[in-house]
Amino acid sequence: MQPTGAALRSVEPNQGPLPFCAQSPFGRAVRRLLRNRSAQAGLAIVVTLVLIALFADIIAPYAYDQQIRQPGLRRRSPPCIHVLGCEREKPQLLMGLDGNFRDLFSRVIYGARLSLQIGFVTTGTAILIGTLIGAVAGYLGGWADMVLMRAMDVLLAFPSLLLAIAIVSVLGPGLINTLLAVAIVSIPVYARVVRASVLEVKEKDYILASSALGASPWRILLMHVMPNSLTPVIVVGTLGIATAILDAAGLSFLGLGAQPPTPEWGLMLGEERNSVFNAPHLVLFPGVAIMVTVLGFNLLGDGLRDALDPRRRV
Amino acid sequence: MKVAAPNCDYGGTMKAIEALDELTVKFTLCSPDPAFPYKIAGDSFAILDSDYLDATGGDSNKISENPVGTGPYKLKEWKRGESITLEAFADYWGDKAKTRTAVLRWSKEAAQRLLELQSGNADGISNLGPDDFETVEKDSSLRLIEVPAANIFYIGFNNTIPPFDDDRVRLAFAYGINRQRIVEDYYPRGSVVATSFVPTSFAVGASPNVPWHEYNPEKAKELLKEAGKENLEVTLTYRDVVRSYLPNPGVVAQEIQAQLKEIGVNVKIEVKESGAFLDSVTAGKEAFYLLGWGADYPDATNFLDYHFGPENKQFGKPYDDIVALLKEGASTADRAKRRSAYDKVNELLKRYVPMIPVAHGGSALAFRADVEGAHANPVSALVFAVMAPPRDKLVYVQNAEPISLNCADESDGETFTACAQIFETLLRFKIGTAEVEPALAESYESNADLTEWTFKLRPGVKFHNGATLDANDVVATMAAQWDAKNPNHKGRTGNFEYWTAYFGSFLNSK
Repeated sequence: MQPTGAALRSVEPNQGPLPFCAQSPFGRAVRRLLRNRSAQAGLAIVVTLVLIALFADIIAPYAYDQQIRQPGLRRRSPPCIHVLGCEREKPQLLMGLDGNFRDLFSRVIYGARLSLQIGFVTTGTAILIGTLIGAVAGYLGGWADMVLMRAMDVLLAFPSLLLAIAIVSVLGPGLINTLLAVAIVSIPVYARVVRASVLEVKEKDYILASSALGASPWRILLMHVMPNSLTPVIVVGTLGIATAILDAAGLSFLGLGAQPPTPEWGLMLGEERNSVFNAPHLVLFPGVAIMVTVLGFNLLGDGLRDALDPRRRV
Repeated sequence: MKVAAPNCDYGGTMKAIEALDELTVKFTLCSPDPAFPYKIAGDSFAILDSDYLDATGGDSNKISENPVGTGPYKLKEWKRGESITLEAFADYWGDKAKTRTAVLRWSKEAAQRLLELQSGNADGISNLGPDDFETVEKDSSLRLIEVPAANIFYIGFNNTIPPFDDDRVRLAFAYGINRQRIVEDYYPRGSVVATSFVPTSFAVGASPNVPWHEYNPEKAKELLKEAGKENLEVTLTYRDVVRSYLPNPGVVAQEIQAQLKEIGVNVKIEVKESGAFLDSVTAGKEAFYLLGWGADYPDATNFLDYHFGPENKQFGKPYDDIVALLKEGASTADRAKRRSAYDKVNELLKRYVPMIPVAHGGSALAFRADVEGAHANPVSALVFAVMAPPRDKLVYVQNAEPISLNCADESDGETFTACAQIFETLLRFKIGTAEVEPALAESYESNADLTEWTFKLRPGVKFHNGATLDANDVVATMAAQWDAKNPNHKGRTGNFEYWTAYFGSFLNSK
């Protein structure tokens, strides 16, 4: 009678550690996340992208700046796929050639690596700085709160892309400066979110208890307040990656971001914008790549929000 | 009315401008100038009414608001950032404009211009995208008009900025660039690989017997090794502006990057804002850059003197031997003498490599097939007055908005498209050619050594404000540009680039 035995065992106390996914809040969140349809789709896209980025060298048939020159092969050639009836003598080009005789497929693949780097680096930096600012402001309160949050309000008062363009114009175009600009414009979002949850957490009984036991404010902030305020940051951060990728692509499209021959999707789109009628594949594929990536992170972010929302704990 | 320089030592080549009688003007030059009729036909030297000029003080802003010329069209409205509407001038002295209303619009994107044409919103467009030639030709409702390649695209160096201060590096680059491949792969048809700086279609200036360095990557690598400049890192700058000499700036820059990688040079590409880039090149601050030049008139002086003259800093320190030969070539009308001077210039350019001449770019305009009188001009602006679509107005879309309507102090083609309809010059370019014909002047003649040019004005020419053209208008217009102390010497920036490019320094400039 297996079932009965199992049921009995779970009610008995002190019978060793509980099964991983049964009770821990983390496990519960993961389970809920995996049950969520949009999160499933988002996670699948993001994991695929990460794999593509990691193994770009293996997947891409050519280097991103390698020119493929053969007699009869024109630049901006449409895709040539052997299975679909393209002549065997021609090299297989899944997404065709770009304006400089380079394999578009390889460039889109390497672009995934770049876009994920942009997304993670900028969002990571912004979270790090934003969390610190938000936590200090929320926990200390008073004039520190006032100064820090008004500074954040100033940053928030500008449309993010416009501010990023202004920053890049001052620093000069280039990938690193773009990362910096996008990171700076997303700091206030995280600062606000963290501050709000710090304000909520710091009045909790366990904080008062820790304080009564004589813990220093920094210890309380780092050991108790921060870990308990991070949930919203995870959600906002995941959605933020999507925004960061989109902003960086926008800057590159305008010629302010990555410089050629970097395989940045926004740059690829911008370079070939005038080919939209006579070589549509050159804007279609990088465009689709941006769309799928942003969609993936947005779906994942939505799923995370549902999974981590305390009000939905049933 | 007469304006004269006390002597010829002030740095310019103009000596005097004088109204001999009501309809006769004489220009006296310090040295012979066979190209004078071509120069004076440039849109920068359009004639303004002297009273109007005094009233506006030569200020480009005021002139742009209410331009008064003698042209077949007058300004109806300039909606900034949107369009310029022109209306036929009823008292025009010549053949009146065929279409009453002409509209000039602009769009930076080639694809958008083509779309406007295809949808019937435009009757003609400028700078057809190099990959759209076929699209236009296949469409029976459209018409392609090719523009002859009277221009040069070059890769410039500055010989004072390392590593380009080393002659061997520049020469290595010359061997490392495959110009044939650039033109074949990235230029539309009608383009030619450049063998010298001046287009081969010009009578003098190009030297077919002095061909440019052959592509030779091995020799390039050797030279770099010899100079101790292996694994060189350089920055290539350009502006992302489409010109007939460079219809694909971005891809050509990346092609050059890829080609130089093969000889072991790592190139970083930097796109700069157009105005800032040009200023920086002129000031001699760009080390390695892409630029070009379109002809104003079909003569070697227009290409060589501007670029390799004693004042130009864009290639670093000017070469004295080239400067001397250019002076020799410009001061005579004898073709054989000029050819031999320019052959020597081309030899020296090949030895010093201040730039690599890459291409003479072909380009095309596209019109709706039913537009009568559609044409393309090799060196001058389009003439709206002779074009007639079977509709009530003519709409032309070019790639940028004019900067002002006072072309005296302007130098770009987009600006000339607008003011050439409103203002007129003493001589003008015959439609579809680079030859001059009389316009405001009925006839002209020069003395034997080409230093005195006398123009007989057309009687009864009316300005848009009702005034009648006389010789004093011509003198006043020219004096405003020439004399730095003239109250009307204002313009937009006060540079009057064409005046200084053609005739040297201003009078009273110090």
